[in-house]
Amino acid sequence: MFTTGSKLFVGATALSTVGAIVFAASVGGPTGILGTIGLITVAIAFAFLAGINFFTRDGNVSAMEPGAEVNSAAAQPPVGRSMWPMVTAVGIGGIAVGAVSKPVVFKVSVIIVLAAAVEWMIQGWSERASSDRAYNDGLRKRLLHPLEFPILASVIAAVFIYSFSRIMLTIDKDAGRWVFIIIGAIITAVGFVFAAKRGMSKGTAGGIIAVGALALVGVGVASAVSGQRPIEEHPHINTAVCLGTASAEEIEEVDAKASQTVAAKSNVLANVYLAEDEHLFALNGGIGNVEYQEITVPRSTDVHVLFHNDSPEPRRLTVHLGTFPAADGTAGSELADCTTAVEAGGEAFLTFRLDKSQAASSTPYRLTVPGVEGQEIKLLVP
Amino acid sequence: MDRSDKTMTTLGDMPSPRRRWTRAALVGLGLVLAGCAKDAPQDYFQPKGPNAEKIDNLQRPVFYIAGIVGVIVLGAVGYIVFKFKDRGQDIPEQSHGNPKLEIALTILPAIILAGIAVPTVITVFELDKKDDTECIINVTGQQWWWEYDYATGSCGGVEIAEPIVTSGELVIPTDTPVLLRITSRDVIHSYWIPALNGKRDAVPGRLHTLRMQADEAGLYTGQCTEFCGLSHARMRQAAVALEPADFQTWVDNQLEPYAAPEADSLAAEGEGTFIANCSKCHQVNGIANSDGSPVLSDPDLYVVSGVAPNLTNLLTRTAIAGWTFDILTEECRTTLWETRGAGFGELYLQGVTPECFDEVALREWLRNPTGMKPMFADATNLESTGGKYRGMPNLNLTEDQIDQLIAFLIERK
Repeated sequence: MFTTGSKLFVGATALSTVGAIVFAASVGGPTGILGTIGLITVAIAFAFLAGINFFTRDGNVSAMEPGAEVNSAAAQPPVGRSMWPMVTAVGIGGIAVGAVSKPVVFKVSVIIVLAAAVEWMIQGWSERASSDRAYNDGLRKRLLHPLEFPILASVIAAVFIYSFSRIMLTIDKDAGRWVFIIIGAIITAVGFVFAAKRGMSKGTAGGIIAVGALALVGVGVASAVSGQRPIEEHPHINTAVCLGTASAEEIEEVDAKASQTVAAKSNVLANVYLAEDEHLFALNGGIGNVEYQEITVPRSTDVHVLFHNDSPEPRRLTVHLGTFPAADGTAGSELADCTTAVEAGGEAFLTFRLDKSQAASSTPYRLTVPGVEGQEIKLLVP
Repeated sequence: MDRSDKTMTTLGDMPSPRRRWTRAALVGLGLVLAGCAKDAPQDYFQPKGPNAEKIDNLQRPVFYIAGIVGVIVLGAVGYIVFKFKDRGQDIPEQSHGNPKLEIALTILPAIILAGIAVPTVITVFELDKKDDTECIINVTGQQWWWEYDYATGSCGGVEIAEPIVTSGELVIPTDTPVLLRITSRDVIHSYWIPALNGKRDAVPGRLHTLRMQADEAGLYTGQCTEFCGLSHARMRQAAVALEPADFQTWVDNQLEPYAAPEADSLAAEGEGTFIANCSKCHQVNGIANSDGSPVLSDPDLYVVSGVAPNLTNLLTRTAIAGWTFDILTEECRTTLWETRGAGFGELYLQGVTPECFDEVALREWLRNPTGMKPMFADATNLESTGGKYRGMPNLNLTEDQIDQLIAFLIERK
């Protein structure tokens, strides 16, 4: 009653259905729901295919048809060799290796096996689609080229980009500038040659491009193997520096080399000025020129203030982030963050976040300028 | 019935062309009239503040021009479709290109767009002016409610001695330009009170400003207008404008010291229940433990956004849970929403009176919050958020505990 093809899909339907039931019963939450929906969808798709195969009797020709033994697709000899069994085997091997080594190997191997399975199935189907070999080949191309070309192009582009990135991370920063200027110039020159030499054979052009591509990938692999160039670690601003308890050498090094990353695009909660007479005050945006000695800060969110040092000395702005008991119940020490030392007339952003109400801290939240006594701006965190 | 009778009956059932047109016109009229709904508090064609008026002054002429152009285009298309539809006639002579017409159809829209661009640019710059504001309020969005904290200092002549934290209802003085400093603690939200101004995105790590001013005392509703997750549709808000004297009363009331419930009362039991179950996330200012130490909430340990609504004066507000569920009776709510100008302040400052208190939503919220509002608050499934909630979890309170909490909360005003 059931044809061979429909039996395959009936079995796949049953397997998917059982899988869906087992998955639904064993995995809860959103993952379980999504997985179950996916498996049910697969089961429905297989059932649909089983129905089609059953209805068309696997597309078999009638035994009564004259000449079918010779002309039918099924009667044609197998076409050429296929690389997909080998690719599938490599993928399965990769899955085994990946299962005991790195997850990325496992994932890539699964993708290889799935891709090979699709290619293999479609090749097998298309080779028997008709008795006309050229038509069958065209059929395969029409089905798979819209998938193969974009995927292949993406993979090639990814390999090139990855190779470029490895090279850039390996070579010296200054040398890199010249290397890529030269490479860019060579590519442009080759492009001009191609444009000028209209009669150049495809083989010559392809050879030049292949050599270039291989050189790029080869150098990229070599760069990846040799590893990144040493990247200088800059000292970070820390509480001791902000509170002025660090050594003079450390403070000097931090100010000279600390990262100057700023949130320049973020609007500021307030502009904080250290005036020429070393009077510290804040201006809130939109409230004219009213000087504030306290700023209300929303809790649990990053806020930014812009420090303007109008005093004659280099100064830093320090935010005192409170004192909280340590995890073991003992009294904790005060937390702080700060800008680097800002030259006279200079500006610097300070980004900070206060998660607790001020009532939770045993020391007040405030902004101060180390070295300037008696000046502070209170930070109110309701 | 013979065949001819049957045929006549069938033809009689078919509406005549005139009848069909009448029906279509009635349906169209119904749709148009639906736009005139009386109960449409978020109608941006009814500005109640100077910024909203500027937007309205721009959008009306643009709307009319666009409407006229739309009618002309649709009319022309309709005319062409009916006039030249295929009736089996010969295909007319084919031509290609009409330079005069094409130039005219390029220049005319360009002139219209240039004409619209001038007032648009002027309005954009006018709306951006904030240097005249007299009050600062930090507006912070999180899934799925808005928090307001009032900066200390003068707010339209009213002195705010300590920061005030509230949620849902933004209370502002009338005729006072207020500066909203808008940000977010989790994902992007958008703050919008259509009667008072346009929208402003609330973006984590950024501080956006918006000038808000109301001409008349009243309650103006709005809602989050940037999709922000499960309960985006239930992230609502309101701006409440009070006369300056009423605003002063509101500020004074918000800063009143905590009044502990009467000893041995149900509310006193509720205070204990609150400390035991709710105070990890919710703050009631001034509440203390039995040893006198202050009860301080730590929502940053339990909630993704790092905060939960401050409940110090919960019953001065008229809705809960992202201003989604009313705690006023239908009658009191309607009266409050429809009152404008004189009399509104007195009505609003009463807070939720016992006569107006509808405890159904509050009770149900305490019983099963996730059942009322979709949230990511299943205690058994918080792996992706590092064990923190998005929204309020079900605390599995008993009915007695709920009674106690309601008795406690109803005094928070």
